[in-house]
Amino acid sequence: MLKPVPLAPSSSAGYNSPVPRVSQTIRVKVLFFGRLKDVAGRAEDFIEFADAATIEQLFALYAARHPELAKYRPSVVASCNEEFAAWDTPLRSGDEVAFLPPVSGG
Amino acid sequence: MAKLPHDDIYQLVREPIDVAALARQVRAPEDGAIVTFDGFVRNQSHHRPTLYLDYEAYESMALAKMREIGAQLHEKYRIHRVSVVHRLGRLEIGETSVFIAVSAPHRAAAFDACRFAIDSLKRTVPIWKREYFEDGAVWADGELPPAPAATPRAKPAS
Repeated sequence: MLKPVPLAPSSSAGYNSPVPRVSQTIRVKVLFFGRLKDVAGRAEDFIEFADAATIEQLFALYAARHPELAKYRPSVVASCNEEFAAWDTPLRSGDEVAFLPPVSGG
Repeated sequence: MAKLPHDDIYQLVREPIDVAALARQVRAPEDGAIVTFDGFVRNQSHHRPTLYLDYEAYESMALAKMREIGAQLHEKYRIHRVSVVHRLGRLEIGETSVFIAVSAPHRAAAFDACRFAIDSLKRTVPIWKREYFEDGAVWADGELPPAPAATPRAKPAS
């Protein structure tokens, strides 16, 4: 399981902490729309990863928090920076990822 | 992305759509035809009386996708001007939710482009509607946009 690092990493970890600061933290903005927003209980979130992660892993992280999300996975399309994106897309810091249920405009 | 003619219109609005004004907007002396599509709120869904609809969008992406459709229209068809406007928020029965107008020198291209535009919009533009009934509300069934199967990252984070 992928573990996100806390949003605001505490600087009070201790001056004698043996763990060096992670320099490669990836911070992404996450958006939920339609019924996914209802299930996730939020429209927007920010999350940080200490290690490389894909959009698929990002979704899995939320599905672990909100198990009902998992059942929507087959009918979800992801976007990255406003373009439809493959699930194996690696995240980069500053990305805006959105999880989109089937669209019903018109 | 392809550059769009400056007199095209791509908008998300929260007020009623003035369809007559938009049709006038695409009209020009060098054209011979305008085809419009007026999508409005039906009073029932699967035989259940609808009270009203509520539309939401991933606004920045929806606008980008609407403009992308416009660019495709200009590339594929011999048309002149395009107007694509979608309304968001609460809409009552009979109110226009989406309006598309395409002008062209000749009718065939205008018909084809207008049809392509609404079909693409319904498949690829991130907009969702919630249907309200006497006994509750549901998110409307939609279409799954085509997404790339594998990675190549085109756009860097901005």
